[in-house]
This record gives sequence, structure tokens and C-alpha cells, in this order.
Amino acid sequence: MDIVPTTTAVLPNAPPGEVPVDADLVPLLLADRDRGFEEVVRRYQRDVYSVAARLCAQLGNSDAEDLSAETFLRAYRALVGYDGERIAALRVRPWLLTILLNTWRNLVRTATRRPRQAPLASALSASPTGASAEPLGPGAAEVFEREETSRELADLLAGLPERQRLAVVLRHVVGLPVAEAAEVLRLPENTVKSHTARGLATLRSLYTEPGRRKEKL
Amino acid sequence: MNYDAVLEGLAELVAAPATDLTDSLFADWTRVPGPIGEIDIAFSGRGISYVRVVGLPDRTATGDFATSFHTRFGRPLRRTDREPPGLRAALDGNPPAELPLDLDTLTEFEREVLQATRQIPRGQTRPYGWIAAQIGRPKAVRAVGTAVGNNPVPLVIPCHRVVRSDGSPGEYVFGAAAKQRLLSAEREAG
Repeated sequence: MDIVPTTTAVLPNAPPGEVPVDADLVPLLLADRDRGFEEVVRRYQRDVYSVAARLCAQLGNSDAEDLSAETFLRAYRALVGYDGERIAALRVRPWLLTILLNTWRNLVRTATRRPRQAPLASALSASPTGASAEPLGPGAAEVFEREETSRELADLLAGLPERQRLAVVLRHVVGLPVAEAAEVLRLPENTVKSHTARGLATLRSLYTEPGRRKEKL
Repeated sequence: MNYDAVLEGLAELVAAPATDLTDSLFADWTRVPGPIGEIDIAFSGRGISYVRVVGLPDRTATGDFATSFHTRFGRPLRRTDREPPGLRAALDGNPPAELPLDLDTLTEFEREVLQATRQIPRGQTRPYGWIAAQIGRPKAVRAVGTAVGNNPVPLVIPCHRVVRSDGSPGEYVFGAAAKQRLLSAEREAG
């Protein structure tokens, strides 16, 4: 298995005039790679895992946590081979998400996947968006309604064409700016915008507002 | 329209993993006293994965402890003051029956060799051929020697108790002199 997806080999530097989000991470990585990487994981595991969870919705019993861990491991092994100049130019979040997408694509391509131990459902059950079995206390109804909304949207998202789904997840689940999403997807910004718009339009047309859900039943 | 509800709902799909990923990605390492000087030791949630004696020549080393660990495992390390469970007893020659070890990077053959090596009592030695016979591969003596030499957790798995068929100590990851010292100390204690 190739350790570093070759497509991650060259990433553009930050656009002129833009302050890098990871300005504080780079000195940490340069001073002590492992301690710096610990901060990388802490800062971005939520973003990586959130995208992984949406990708795994189509992978059957694959596990978003395994995919996230594999992504960080590949990132670390790539980092070990980087010189100081390369690390200084690193834009950490798009770099991680690019590795995530490559790792996921490799997984999808591999016809003979070994069965994973923990299904996606169990990995998600302890997460904030997981279903809570017993709504208790004030505001429980509201929480329940929000969870219903998230679940329905997750199902609708899983049904979108891949490019639209990826664009919507990066832009509106993780909240990436257009330029960063375009970097991760390796598409022109306008293409990302149109995939996002089409995806959102489909979601809006299929989505049932919480208040109208009972009518539907 | 549903515009805001959809965007808000999407934003709420952000989720943290159930467990902090640093715990599964990083191995912890610490430095503790050992039978022939201080040892550096790395361990994961699954158990002890790497042991090296500080200051002794190491024919498998690619640099200092961290560098050698990175070369071998491709994982990050973080410093801890904790000791892995069961370590102290194992170094004192009384390993708990279920001492947790993380030998995931080894081949099945290497694991079988080390499993047999663990059975050699303190104060005793066995030739490489004995290990080969134990694992049902009596002709694989040379491969057994290689697997013993590749033991990532010396001292914890007592590969120093595997010797040549003529009784001479033979090779050791930290040098023949260290092997002789360990064996002599165990015989005197035993």
C-alpha cells in the first residue's frame, strides 16, 4: 500500500494576502514534530471525522473513526519526509482533508475490503449528533427535533451525487471557505460553487420542515 | 423557505470522534530503571511495543530512541510519566500471565517465536533449535534467529535466554557482553 497518496505531493502555498490559519502550528511542527502533530490532531480531528462520517455513510459497515485515524497516520508519515520549507508552506486543514479523500477513494476502489470491527452506527452513537434514546428535561423536545433534522439531512446528503455531496459537506458541514474547498476537491472555485448550489437545491426540495413532519406521517 | 433550516441542519452534522484520536495514533514513551541500566519504553493502549536500553550499542538503531521508533513503527510518540501495567514485574523476572504487548507490526511467525521465547524460565537458557521445535518448524533455526533478533521488546520478552546450541551466548541486539551480563545476573539470582 502506498503510504502517501501521490496527489498530495504538491500543494499550493497560501494565496497572497491571506493570513494562514495555521500560523502557530508551523513553528510547533518545526520545533518538535511529534508535539506539533499532537496539536494538529486535536485541532482538526473534529473536521476530519465529520467529513469521514459523511463519506462512510456509503461505505456500509466501514468506520468513520478508522478512516480518520488512517488519514492522520498517513499525514504523519508524509510529514516525516517533509523538509522545513515544505512544512512552513503547509496549509494543514486542506492538506488533511485531501489525504482523507484520497484514503477514502482507495478504500472504495479496494474491492476486497476486510470487514471492520465497529460499524459506523456505533461510532456515531456517542457523538453529539447521535440519537439520544431518552429525551429528558426541559428543551428535550427541541433537542429531539434538531436530531431528527440532522438525521434526515444526513440521509438526504447520502443520496446526492458524489461531487455535490463532497462540496456541500466541505462548505456547509465543516464550513470551509470556497477557496479551501476548491483546493481539497481540486476543482475551480466556480465549479465548487455550482456543485454546492445544486446539492443545496436538491436538499431543500426534499427536506421536510420539522413542523410539517407529522403531516407527512 | 427551508434555506436556513437546511444550512443549520448541515452545520449540526459536525461531530467529534467518540474517542480522542491522539490516544490511538500516539504511543506513549517513558524512561525507567532496568536490569542493565535505564530503559526507554514505548507503549500504546494495546500494550508495550518497543524497549531499548539507554547508552548500549543497538545494531537495529537508526538514531536515538524516538528516531528508531519512528523508522520501525511510523507513528508519533509522546512523553509520559506513567509506566505500562505489568512492566515492573516483567523486568523483575515475574511477568504477569497476561502482560499486554502490542506486537501488531510483527509477522505471525515472529509472534510465534516470541511467544515460545516467553516460556523460558528466568535463570535458564534454550537453543534456537528448541524454539524452532516448539513452534513446529524444526528446520527453521536460521529464521528463528532472525525473528529473535528482531524482538522489539527485549528484556520484557527474554530473547537473551535464547543461545547457541553449544551453549555460548551468541548474538544480542545490545551486544554479546550485555547478554552475558544478563544471563550471569539471572543465574546468580536464581
